[in-house]
Amino acid sequence: MAAYILRRMISTIAVMAMVGIFIFLLLRLSPGDPAAIIAGDTATPQMIADIRKQLGLNDPLPVQFLHWALSILGGDFGTSIFTGRPVLLLISQRLEATISLSILTMIFSVVTGVAFGMLAAWRVGGLVDRALAAFAALGFSVPVFVVGYFLIYWLAISARWLPVQGYRSIDHGVGPWLVHLILPTVALSFPYIAYIARITRASMLEVLSEDYMRTAAAKGASSYSMLFHHALKNAGVPILTVIGISFAYLISGVVITETVFNIPGVGRLVVDAINNRDYPIIQGVLILASGLYVLINLAVDLAYTLIDPRIRY
Amino acid sequence: MIKSGDLRVFDPIFTTALITAEHGYAIYDTLFALDSKLTPQPQMVRKWSVSDDKKTYTFELRDGLGWHDGTPVTAADCVASIRRWGQVAPGGKLVLARAKDISKKDDKTFTIELKEPLGLLIDVLANLAYPFLFIMREKDASRPATEQVTANIGSGPFKFNEALAKPGASFTYDRNEKYVPRSELPDGFAGGKIVNVDRVIWENIANPQTAFAALRAGEVDFFEYPSADLYSAIESDPNLELQVLDKMGWVHWIRLNCLQKPFDNVKARQAMLHLIDQEAFSRIFSSNPKYTQNIISLFGNDTLYSNDENTGWYKKGGDPEKAKQLFKEANYSGEKVVILQPTNIVNYSNAVQFLAGALRKIGINAELAPSDWGGIVARRGNKGPVESGGWSIFISGVPDLTLSDPIGAPWLSADGDFFGWPKNDEYEALRAKWADTATVAERQALARKMQGLWWGFVGDVRLAQSVSPIARRKTLSGLIGMPGALPMWNMQKT
Repeated sequence: MAAYILRRMISTIAVMAMVGIFIFLLLRLSPGDPAAIIAGDTATPQMIADIRKQLGLNDPLPVQFLHWALSILGGDFGTSIFTGRPVLLLISQRLEATISLSILTMIFSVVTGVAFGMLAAWRVGGLVDRALAAFAALGFSVPVFVVGYFLIYWLAISARWLPVQGYRSIDHGVGPWLVHLILPTVALSFPYIAYIARITRASMLEVLSEDYMRTAAAKGASSYSMLFHHALKNAGVPILTVIGISFAYLISGVVITETVFNIPGVGRLVVDAINNRDYPIIQGVLILASGLYVLINLAVDLAYTLIDPRIRY
Repeated sequence: MIKSGDLRVFDPIFTTALITAEHGYAIYDTLFALDSKLTPQPQMVRKWSVSDDKKTYTFELRDGLGWHDGTPVTAADCVASIRRWGQVAPGGKLVLARAKDISKKDDKTFTIELKEPLGLLIDVLANLAYPFLFIMREKDASRPATEQVTANIGSGPFKFNEALAKPGASFTYDRNEKYVPRSELPDGFAGGKIVNVDRVIWENIANPQTAFAALRAGEVDFFEYPSADLYSAIESDPNLELQVLDKMGWVHWIRLNCLQKPFDNVKARQAMLHLIDQEAFSRIFSSNPKYTQNIISLFGNDTLYSNDENTGWYKKGGDPEKAKQLFKEANYSGEKVVILQPTNIVNYSNAVQFLAGALRKIGINAELAPSDWGGIVARRGNKGPVESGGWSIFISGVPDLTLSDPIGAPWLSADGDFFGWPKNDEYEALRAKWADTATVAERQALARKMQGLWWGFVGDVRLAQSVSPIARRKTLSGLIGMPGALPMWNMQKT
């Protein structure tokens, strides 16, 4: 196991290096000039040229890459071209909101999705199963921003129960933090609930038709015991895979929700940085996100061994 | 307050971005300021005088001026600020070029000694064109203008709250309790800057629907420039109001690449003047006619120098036949006309699509080059032919106010240096005289001559002028309406 983890960590470094080179080249070769954006729409060409020189954007690409790569290896992600603030500080200011939203969404999605999937499998072909199938179809097909606007109109503007937008750090208390995250969490959860429910249902149906389930029923096991102790555990591997993939997608896919609910998260940070061509921020966020993605995959692979003792590395 | 842009750069000399100028007005102060009639009035300056030979200006600072770090504002700060501003601002460059000496006489007095009289000096110091002259601490202003000052310590009526700054999300400004306003009533950017609120927070809500919902729910009090499709919803809410603060608004135009075919030929440029149907473009910028106007003067619609010299090209609905004929006279032979299309600026994106359609109708091989604005500002610097990544037409806009300042506004130059690179020596000779005019009447006469030439060689092509209302909750009042920037003093919340 230890050797496996070590091998995976080494391969992670190689993946990150590839990602780094790709990101750097992609940004530098795409059209855009941060100096022109910094200088403003009405700046003279001379102002723009002076700023380009000051930022080192006239240096050859290999020189720029070397500076950046050496800084990253030293743990320095550089400073924003625009605000002059350290990239890690800017990311850390945004990370709490994104992680809060992602974790709450994942918890809500997993609890609800697994419960819906189990219920649908248990009552397969019945009214509940059909209703949940319809819900899943809706969850897949209705865009997150539509759900978001609907929730804003219904629960924030009409009922005035919840705030329209914004984020409060958990430092201000759990109450304000949670209140600002309810609507975005529910909106963002829809497709994930649908996805997890569908996979859980399919996986559970497969397990429920196994001989050992019939044996358990013949031995008088309760419905609860059959579902949770026998079926769910054996159906867990595909569900866990889906949860892992969903979480990785979630981290990179919160941008729309952050925009609709005006949550100052990493998603908006990177979108703004792309619009501004703020290279150090884009590079920093993407390097960290790809690292996180690789780690989540590793964690999921390791979690398989907890659910299914037959899996060995 | 929901601002229409994102404050990305804090140094108002380092950039010409409007939102940074507004940040500047909050935390910094100015030597002079424009009143509501666009006349310069002393602001930090208590009194000033000029010598009999008009070559030496002496400025004395008023009492009570202090930096947010507790130290007093001195004449040395002003001298350093003028020098830094003069490195980048066209008006400032003129001042430095004409100055024999700028120096402090004592802690509260400094002089600008000129090689020859400069009748426009006070107007230039009073900020008609970006970047504006904001006074910074000497140690900040000693940096080159190409290095950003990020200290955010000024002497203005608001203090920047660094601890609550969340770039890309929100910025907080606290009332500067120690600020000593002038005794006069607020009048434009001039007069007493009295702050009636303890704190102002700039929220960056990128999504207009969310911004409107937040305004309706009372989570914010002010929404700068809501999109036109929200006007009716705002007007129907009894708690909200639309208000035009900047009555001069913006002038929208296209710049033609004068160095490459087909617009290196003046006939092709003149054809564009005739082709444009300003009424149709106005509808693109606002569906409500009360927010748009036609624009035929080089100097804008509402400035002291607006005039109608050489505007015979204007015709309601445009004149495509005349345009077609002029392209023919320009020996146009099917060259590709590349129009830069800023896809993330909806109005401009729509306008250039409409323009491309109008060009194709008269047989011009128009092609759109879509990109976000970040891509366009990079590409517009390319002087080469379209085959080498160059361009033929790009769309942009500037505040109407800046069109009254041909010295400070580089887009009113024809020295071949600003995007589009129009060049006309006769016009430049007239423009050079602007700085030496002493009265408004002299400038008005000069403006007519300059405009006569401009529409002859066609330095740009105007599409429309538009104003944009802000939306506010009725509990917020006292907002000062001025072109060029939105000041935050004087407003109050009940």
